[in-house]
Amino acid sequence: MDSDDDFNMSSEEEDVLEDSDNDNGSVDDFGFDEPEPDLGYTQKEQVKKEKRTFDTNFKVYHPDDIQAQQDDLIDEVNMILDIRKEDAAILLRHFRWNKERLIEDYMDRPKKVLEDAGLGPSTTGPPKLEVIPGFMCDICCEDEPGLKSFAMKCGHRYCADCYGQYLNQKIKEEGEAARIQCPQDGCKRILDAKSLDLLVTSDLQNRYHELLTRTYVEDKEQMKWCPAPDCQNAIECGIKKKDLDKVVPTVACDCKHRFCFGCALPDHQPAPCELVKKWLKKCADDSETANWISANTKECPKCNSTIEKNGGCNHMTCRKCKHEFCWMCMGLWSEHGTSWYNCNRFEEKSGSEARDAQAKSRVSLERYLHYYNRYANHEQSAKLDKDIFTKTEKKMISLQTASGMSWIEVQYLNSASHALQTCRQTLKWTYAFAFYLARNNLTEMFEDNQKDLEMAVEALSEMFEKPVDELANAKLKVEIMDKTSYCNKRRVILLADTADNLANGVWKWSNNN
Amino acid sequence: MALCQNRLQEERKQWRRDHPFGFYAKPQRNNAGVLDLKVWECGIPGKEKTLWEGGLFKLSVIFPDEYPTKPPKCKFVPPLFHPNVYPSGTVCLSILNEEEGWKPAITIKQILLGVQDLLDDPNPESPAQADAYNLFKKDRAAYENKIKRIVRDNPAP
Repeated sequence: MDSDDDFNMSSEEEDVLEDSDNDNGSVDDFGFDEPEPDLGYTQKEQVKKEKRTFDTNFKVYHPDDIQAQQDDLIDEVNMILDIRKEDAAILLRHFRWNKERLIEDYMDRPKKVLEDAGLGPSTTGPPKLEVIPGFMCDICCEDEPGLKSFAMKCGHRYCADCYGQYLNQKIKEEGEAARIQCPQDGCKRILDAKSLDLLVTSDLQNRYHELLTRTYVEDKEQMKWCPAPDCQNAIECGIKKKDLDKVVPTVACDCKHRFCFGCALPDHQPAPCELVKKWLKKCADDSETANWISANTKECPKCNSTIEKNGGCNHMTCRKCKHEFCWMCMGLWSEHGTSWYNCNRFEEKSGSEARDAQAKSRVSLERYLHYYNRYANHEQSAKLDKDIFTKTEKKMISLQTASGMSWIEVQYLNSASHALQTCRQTLKWTYAFAFYLARNNLTEMFEDNQKDLEMAVEALSEMFEKPVDELANAKLKVEIMDKTSYCNKRRVILLADTADNLANGVWKWSNNN
Repeated sequence: MALCQNRLQEERKQWRRDHPFGFYAKPQRNNAGVLDLKVWECGIPGKEKTLWEGGLFKLSVIFPDEYPTKPPKCKFVPPLFHPNVYPSGTVCLSILNEEEGWKPAITIKQILLGVQDLLDDPNPESPAQADAYNLFKKDRAAYENKIKRIVRDNPAP
C-alpha cells in the first residue's frame, strides 16, 4: 500500500516533498512552466521565494492518514483523561475535534461534559448482549423467553433485533454515525463503536466506520474532501471563509483534480467564489433565454417592451403602449403610406432612429452574451481537450515510431496538451470575471492580458492539431515548445496580476449586473 | 411487516388497558369491514386551562410498513388552523420526523400527548401554514379569537 509507505516516511523527507507539492501544486506539473528548480535540500529557501501570490498552501491527506490522525487524537485524550477509547472518540466528536477545549472543559466539570456529549452517568463493564427473565421489548413487544437484549449504560433495554434494525435505519438510510442516540424517547446517550459492533453485521460496521471518518473531515473547518469521483483524499488548507473575497484558493489533490477550496467547484481562478456563484446562477437562469430573446424578439420603439412576432404582417401594434410601427424598419407605421406589407423604407429617418434606440436597449443583453459565448466556448474547448489528451498519447507513440524520437523527446506534446487545458480553464473564468468588472484602466490591462493569453492559446492549439508527419519537423517542435512555455508564462502573469489586485481590493465592480 | 403488525397489536392492547382522559384512538375498518391496524382514528382534546379547552380534534394516524423504524404520519381531518399544521392537515412535529426526534420506542400515547401539547404551544421556528402563522405572529388577539371559534365548532362530547 503506497499511502502506508507515504505515512511511514521520515519526517524530513516528507517535509521536502510537501513543500515542492505546494509550490508547484497549483500550476500542474508540466515541465515547461518555468525552469524546474533542483529540489536539493539547499535550494529549499529558493523554492519558497518563488511562491506566487495566487498559490495557496495546502496539504493532501490519504484515507490512512485521516484514520491515523483520528487515532492519535483519541489515544492522546484516552491517556490524558483516563477514559475508555470509545468514550474519548465520542467526546472528541462532540467537541468537533478541538482537543484543547475538550480537555479544558473536562478538567473543569467532567460530569457536565459527559452528560452533554451523551455519555451520561456510567457503570462499568464492557457492552454485551444479555437474556433478562421477564423482559419485553418496548419496540416489537416481543417477550418470549431467551430473547437477547441490549442496553447501553443508560439502561434503556431493547431486543437485539430491534436495536439492530434501528441502527440499520440510522446508518444506511440517514447516513448518521457520530451522533446516533439511544432508541428511547428523549435519551441523548450516544452509541459507541464497540456496542455497535455487537449489534450489526460487518458490512454495516464498515459503513459506520466510513461515516465516522467522514465526520472527522466534515467537522474540521480547515479540511475538505476532494470532490473528484471515487477520490478518498482530503485536503487541509488554512484559508477561511471570510478571506474568500481576497483570494481564490485553488488546491490540487494527489488524484490530479484541481478545485477551489472555498466552494469545491473545479478551479476557477482568477474569479473569486462569490462571483462564480453569481455567474453560474445567471448562466443557468439566463443564457438560453437571453439567446432566444436576442434571436426572436425586438423591443417596441416607444416603450421598450419585448415583443415576439409569431405571425401576421409587419404592422405591429404594441399591446402595452399601442404604438404602431413596422416590424421591418421599426419606423412609424403612419409614415408607411401605401407601401404597406412590403417595407422598403430602411433608409428613412424615423426608422433609423428607432433602430438606434433599439440597439441601445440591446446593449446590456449583447454585453452579457458576449462574455457568455466566450466563456462557453472555452468550456466547450476544455471538454474537447479531454479527447485531445487521449489523442496526444497516440500521437506521441506514432511520432516515436515515425521519427525515431525517444520517449523523452516527444514529451513536449504532453506538456503542450497540459498547457492548453489549464490555460483554457483560466481563460474561461476570465470572461466571467470581466463581465462583472467596471470599465477602467485596470480592466483594460486585464483584457490586454486576457487577449494575449487567448491568442497564444489559439495559436498553440492550431499547431498542436497538425498531422504527425509535420509534427516530426524539428522546427515545429521548437515552435510548440516555445509557445507552450509562452502560454504558461502569460497565464501566470494574468493570474498573479489579478490575484494581487484582488488581495489589495482594487478591482472596481460594475453595478448594472 | 410482521414487526409492524405485532407492535400495533400490542399498542392497541396497551391503549385499551389504559389511556389518558378525553382521548380516543382506534384502528379503522377498511372497505371490506376488516380492521386495518395501520390506520388509526384518534381524537385529541384541548388541554385544560388553555384556549383549546373544551375542543376535540380528529386526527388520523397512518403507520408505514417500516413502523416503528419510521414514524407514523399524523393528519388532522379536517385540516386544523394552527401554525404547525400543513394546509393538508399533516402535523409538523420534531418527534414525528425520522431525521429529527423520532425514536422507535415512542408510543401512540406519547405521540397523541405530544400533539396535544403542540396545540397551545406552537413552534414559530417551523411554520407549516401561512394563515395561522401570520395571524399568530402579527395579531395575537385575532389569533386567539379565531381559536376560540374553532374550539366552539369542535366541542368535546
